[in-house]
Amino acid sequence: MKGLKYQLKSVLRDKFCLMTFLLPILVAVALNFMGSIDLSSLGELHFSVLENDLSPQTITWLERYGPVTAYGTQEELAAAINEPSTNVIGVKADGDSIKTAISGDELDIFRQAAAALPALYEKRGDAEQAEVHVLERPDILENFQGIFIPAVLIVAMFMGCTFNAMNIISEKEDGVAFINEILPMTPSQYILQKVVVGFLFGSLSSIVTACICFRLSWQNFGIMLALIILSSFVAALIGLFIGKLSEGLMIGVVYIKIVMLVFIAVPIVCALIGVSGPLAIICNIVPSHPAFDGIMALSAGSLGTAVKDVGILAIHCVAWSALYVLISSQHKKQATQ
Amino acid sequence: MGKGFCALFKKDCRMLVSGKFFLMTIGFLILYTAYVNLGYIRFMQMPPYNVYLYDPDGTQTEKSPLVQTVSSMEDMDAILLSDANGVGLDASAGEVRVVLYKGAEHVDRHRADYALSLLRPSASRTPEVLGTNTPEQKARKEITCELLFFELAAVGFLGIAAVLFKEKGMGVIRVHAILPVRKDLFLLSKLAVFLFSDLAFAVLLTLLNMGPADGTAILPAVLLQTAILSLIMALVGLLCALLLKDFRQFTLAYLVIAIFAATPVFLSANTSIKFDWIGYHPFYHVYMGLKNAYFGADISPVYYVGAVGMIVLLFLVVRLAFHREIGKEG
Repeated sequence: MKGLKYQLKSVLRDKFCLMTFLLPILVAVALNFMGSIDLSSLGELHFSVLENDLSPQTITWLERYGPVTAYGTQEELAAAINEPSTNVIGVKADGDSIKTAISGDELDIFRQAAAALPALYEKRGDAEQAEVHVLERPDILENFQGIFIPAVLIVAMFMGCTFNAMNIISEKEDGVAFINEILPMTPSQYILQKVVVGFLFGSLSSIVTACICFRLSWQNFGIMLALIILSSFVAALIGLFIGKLSEGLMIGVVYIKIVMLVFIAVPIVCALIGVSGPLAIICNIVPSHPAFDGIMALSAGSLGTAVKDVGILAIHCVAWSALYVLISSQHKKQATQ
Repeated sequence: MGKGFCALFKKDCRMLVSGKFFLMTIGFLILYTAYVNLGYIRFMQMPPYNVYLYDPDGTQTEKSPLVQTVSSMEDMDAILLSDANGVGLDASAGEVRVVLYKGAEHVDRHRADYALSLLRPSASRTPEVLGTNTPEQKARKEITCELLFFELAAVGFLGIAAVLFKEKGMGVIRVHAILPVRKDLFLLSKLAVFLFSDLAFAVLLTLLNMGPADGTAILPAVLLQTAILSLIMALVGLLCALLLKDFRQFTLAYLVIAIFAATPVFLSANTSIKFDWIGYHPFYHVYMGLKNAYFGADISPVYYVGAVGMIVLLFLVVRLAFHREIGKEG
């Protein structure tokens, strides 16, 4: 208990360390209060035209499909079409019809839209008469916005991992690790002291972030709390692994970078491409995936999936702890031989 | 002066070799190249909308070959559920009815009209192509530029700080204060090591991911932008390493750059999402300089003046911090 007190005291003195844990909270506040990012323009068609080239009726017709921007000169129009960050389709008058211009580097869907536009223009009267039955589904683009908040939460949980890893590595660099080995302290006491600081601050940071971002019922809050606590614990344990395996600061940083990339990339890519089946089960090996999946499920109101993810995280906790104890005892055996 | 610089340069190189910095850089080069060639290029595809037709009486005789027929409405429901961007056309009741899953309003309108146009297809007019890149070339340029920026902004930054923290810990700065070499050479040798390392990384990353023909054509412009970014990041890394107490504190600055500062820049520079405030983000201009080099676009002379001014200013600040640190140690 005394050791733990020293660990906490050292963290509270370190203002930058505290700021590390406060960072996700600040981002959550920014996301929540400064307005969410509008991602709806990602899949839209964008048109550019020359001023006074197309009739107002044609412009109005084009605006049915996406925003239209007018440019004064041919060069400005070509520059807008060629701008690599957009998929702008240039539209010009061609007698009674229209013709399109593209950069040529667009995705197939935009090239197809550009090729089909003159034909759509010629048949614009027919299209308006047909009945369109729109089936309800959650807007896939809105899901992109929802991804930001769980991603920030995952980063908050990951802070415990970074902190623990850096803590152990700096102890190794300063020679404190050797002193720890001869202190009258059992491996479980050592693990407890090292895990608790990262776990505690990672959890607190995540809980505050969750409170800012989500409005949950008490029941859902309980599941969210379980998700946060379990994933923060696993993240803190992984931090111990990184610290143990790293020979020096640089190697430790590389490991942290790789783990951070995997932690953030796997759940986001899975959510974006909609991974299912055996691949989704395999992805659960990365602890951030069930955490992310659980948070997304809770925000969508799917309680069953969230509970399943809590179970997966509990298995992670047991498995990682057992692995750490096993490695530590083997290491100790080798050291005493 | 030249001899002193060479000795310091060799010492820094040896230190990076012993810290496995070059090994780590080669590892990331392999990882990034594998990601670009095996993952990103395959992933970054958006096929055209599929159009499905249920026409039990065969009324739609002129339909385009792009229209896929289904045998029942149940099949149509199932196929639309699995391909939510697809459009269903139901011609079972005489008049054609469009069935689609809701997306963005403008896109839905286009999907419906496009699907209907395929029932009476007219000759498709090939759009005029103004650019020179193919979709694959664009994807390769975009991702290579992003990875190079991330590597220089995050890893180089981290590398120089790790080296300097190690030297601080070993008392090298204290020893340097009494060495008969110019104090600035200490900083210049570090900048030179990281500059050469970053330039070599940029050459390899560009050639491996863009191919020798495309890569060689843009290499001079890319190297110039790499040099600007490398110097800025190395100077910021040096400044952080001189001002902060230990490496653990430094990880905060690293996280800010790696996750929160780079994300809005990538979003604004690579997608149609444009933040109003992005012009005030210093990384945005540096990233756009690199991106323009990859895409062969013109770069404003104002940017170069600003970049050189920034490098000189950062160097002076780092120099001041370094002299203060030497004074503290002495």
